[in-house]
Amino acid sequence: MGPLETMKKHYQHRDLSAREWKAKGGRVVGYLSEDVPEEMILAAGFFPFRISGDPWGGTEEADKYTEPFYNPAVRSIFNMLLAGKYDFLDFIVIPHSSDAILKLYYHLRDVQKINPLLKLPELYLFDLLHTRFWMTGLYIRDRVRELKEKLEEWSGKEISKESLSQAIAIGNENKMLLKKVTALRAAEPSRLSGVETLQIIGASMFMLKETHNRLLRQFLGEGDLPARDGVRLFVEGSDLDHLQFYELVESFKATIVAEDHSWGNRYLDDPVDPSVDPLEAIAERYHLKSPSPRMHSIDRRIRYCVRSAVEAKAQGAIFFFLEWDSAPAWDYPDQKKALEEKGIPTLCFDMQKYLLSSSDEDQLKPKVEKFVETIRTRSTAG
Amino acid sequence: MGEERRVSDQGGRTVKQLRSAIEAAAYQREWFRTTRQRLSDGEPFALANADTPHEIFLAMDIPVVMTQWWSAIIAAKRLSSEYFNLMNEKGYQRNLCRYCSLPLACAMDPHPEHAPWGGLPRPTVLLARLTCDAQTKIFERLAREYHATFFPLEFSAPTSSYPRWWEKIKDHWDEVIEPHRLDLMVEELKALIRFLEVTTGKTFSHTKFIEVMELVNQQEEYFRKTRDLIAETVPCPVSLPDQIASTMNPQWHRGTQWGLNQAKMFYEEVKERVDKGEAVCKNEKIRLMWIGPGLWHNTAFYQHFEEKYGAVFVCSIYLSLAADGYARNYVYNPLRALASRHVTITEFIYHRDWLVKEAILHKVRGAVMIVAKSCIRPVGGGVGNMFTIRAFEAAGIPVLPIYSDVVDAREWKDEEIKFQVSKFIEERLSS
Repeated sequence: MGPLETMKKHYQHRDLSAREWKAKGGRVVGYLSEDVPEEMILAAGFFPFRISGDPWGGTEEADKYTEPFYNPAVRSIFNMLLAGKYDFLDFIVIPHSSDAILKLYYHLRDVQKINPLLKLPELYLFDLLHTRFWMTGLYIRDRVRELKEKLEEWSGKEISKESLSQAIAIGNENKMLLKKVTALRAAEPSRLSGVETLQIIGASMFMLKETHNRLLRQFLGEGDLPARDGVRLFVEGSDLDHLQFYELVESFKATIVAEDHSWGNRYLDDPVDPSVDPLEAIAERYHLKSPSPRMHSIDRRIRYCVRSAVEAKAQGAIFFFLEWDSAPAWDYPDQKKALEEKGIPTLCFDMQKYLLSSSDEDQLKPKVEKFVETIRTRSTAG
Repeated sequence: MGEERRVSDQGGRTVKQLRSAIEAAAYQREWFRTTRQRLSDGEPFALANADTPHEIFLAMDIPVVMTQWWSAIIAAKRLSSEYFNLMNEKGYQRNLCRYCSLPLACAMDPHPEHAPWGGLPRPTVLLARLTCDAQTKIFERLAREYHATFFPLEFSAPTSSYPRWWEKIKDHWDEVIEPHRLDLMVEELKALIRFLEVTTGKTFSHTKFIEVMELVNQQEEYFRKTRDLIAETVPCPVSLPDQIASTMNPQWHRGTQWGLNQAKMFYEEVKERVDKGEAVCKNEKIRLMWIGPGLWHNTAFYQHFEEKYGAVFVCSIYLSLAADGYARNYVYNPLRALASRHVTITEFIYHRDWLVKEAILHKVRGAVMIVAKSCIRPVGGGVGNMFTIRAFEAAGIPVLPIYSDVVDAREWKDEEIKFQVSKFIEERLSS
């Protein structure tokens, strides 16, 4: 199996590597979102595993405790944790990334009180705050130190500066290699689809980083990839941890050349500075990295969106908002205006289901097709 | 005893019976008028969310309005639908936060003078704790609309569940609240004070601040006595709309002599009614609790079930939190005590065990909980209400969730909701 197929396999079977690691006596720390320093988990000797939802997995267990108006991707994670789908996790780190994710921490804590027999991994709240102020940076630095102490308690050994530096180097190499992958997608003509790229990036969070780096090097060394023709699109909005929407869009002779969410381009921005104290560098990186929708401020969010779309030479942008995921939706009017001022037309799908049904797809497809066709016509005429 | 009648959003009538409630409403209007006059001379003016310590502004003689207060006024004047439609037309989706965003929707109106009481004076500084995903978004846009500076305060996540916080919070708040949360807020408040001093030319008066803290404690003590009196008196002596008006108007002015006087008047009026045996509903059969923010666009709803069922709403979060959650012994460090009041306010107001405690104290038989799907904050908010229902039902108190919005009248289906509550009373509460 080639490197791309291997990464696709791990994207599809997300627990594969972690379960193998576990079978060999290793321990796995699950975490949510892009806000947990995975370098620290790696340095502590654990397998860092990013927890994701499953749109096909139902919500039966979550329904016992939450109503449907809850970010559906996080609700799916809640369901999977209650249903034992993540039984290979030894510990879970939940960051204060968004209301929905913070709420997950409280929900899990509450469920454990209601049902003490429920087996869940030990939970740890990582309180990453949201402004770029120095005072917030100091607070985050303290939380990073506490996380280090917690990981040391879990592993029973100290995390040395050397092991942290090594983990940072591995993570930075991963981001650098992923940048090369996304450059292939953003090239003119594009050499990779959005669907493929999302799988390659996503696999990084389900595999050991060193293994993923090896696969990336192999993949990048395989030589020229065939050129893709089609309309170049940028995706803005909610985090998308599965492929359904990308597959739908790219079925219309279009390529998603870049996006602004944490399962895509935003994951590989901002390496950790290897030239300073590793813990300080980690604290600063996770404080000041590319802005997620929850972060202060709107100007940074707009600039990031527009810069990403322009750099990828996107011809159009599609906003895709999951239902009950309001933080990115607040930015929509300003981002739309800013993109259109740059000559990038936009299309918006709001309040979308986590799992698009056939009828949902039937509603989306003609709109995407028309949007792509309009851009193609305009491009040909121009 | 005066009486003011006002037609509600959907045809009902709110009957204010307490002088403290009527006077408070008049005072609010007058406060807005005089404040606007004062600001025309170039004085600073702050707009802040309710989670922030407005005591800081009092100690600097800077007038302040809370966004939730302003939301309630706009909704009560039946203008929310118009403003939300305007915001939606500007591209903001309909499912976004409503309660805290109504002032933004109002600020987007090109005719600000159409707003209640001649409109909000243009704020020069905006202050919010980032207690949910929406606060940053709302306040940054408010800053843009008003050309004002936004000063955000972080929302550190609680790690404790604050068991039985109400028993220790007044005197031992430093044992209840995590030190790192207090440390951050104290530092942020110091930064805020310096920022205000630099930008307004005013000085934070420590003696004034101590006076404010003392007045707040005295005011909240009256609320505690009033809450206890209402809780133990059957039939209930005061309607929920009167309770809310007589509590929240002074609360928005807590730390002032007027706030203290009003709280005292409220207590004395309730005491007088209790002594005379006066009741909201002589035929009281079922005592109800209202869980969630006040139904500002339709306060008459609370009294709709009195005549037919003898069902009376006797308590809500407002008077109860004033009674239990605000007072602080501040002897050694008043600024840290102030931080302790605000750093946990969201956690306390939706604390399930505390809500159940209040329900039992007020001898309620059932509770109606308003669930706003658009409120996504991590503590409280729409999501998570099932845990609250479980806690109440474990205490033998059924809860009816109703899905609507407290300020967006477009979401209110009056007949349907009245039917739901009637059915709840008939099937689950009537013995």
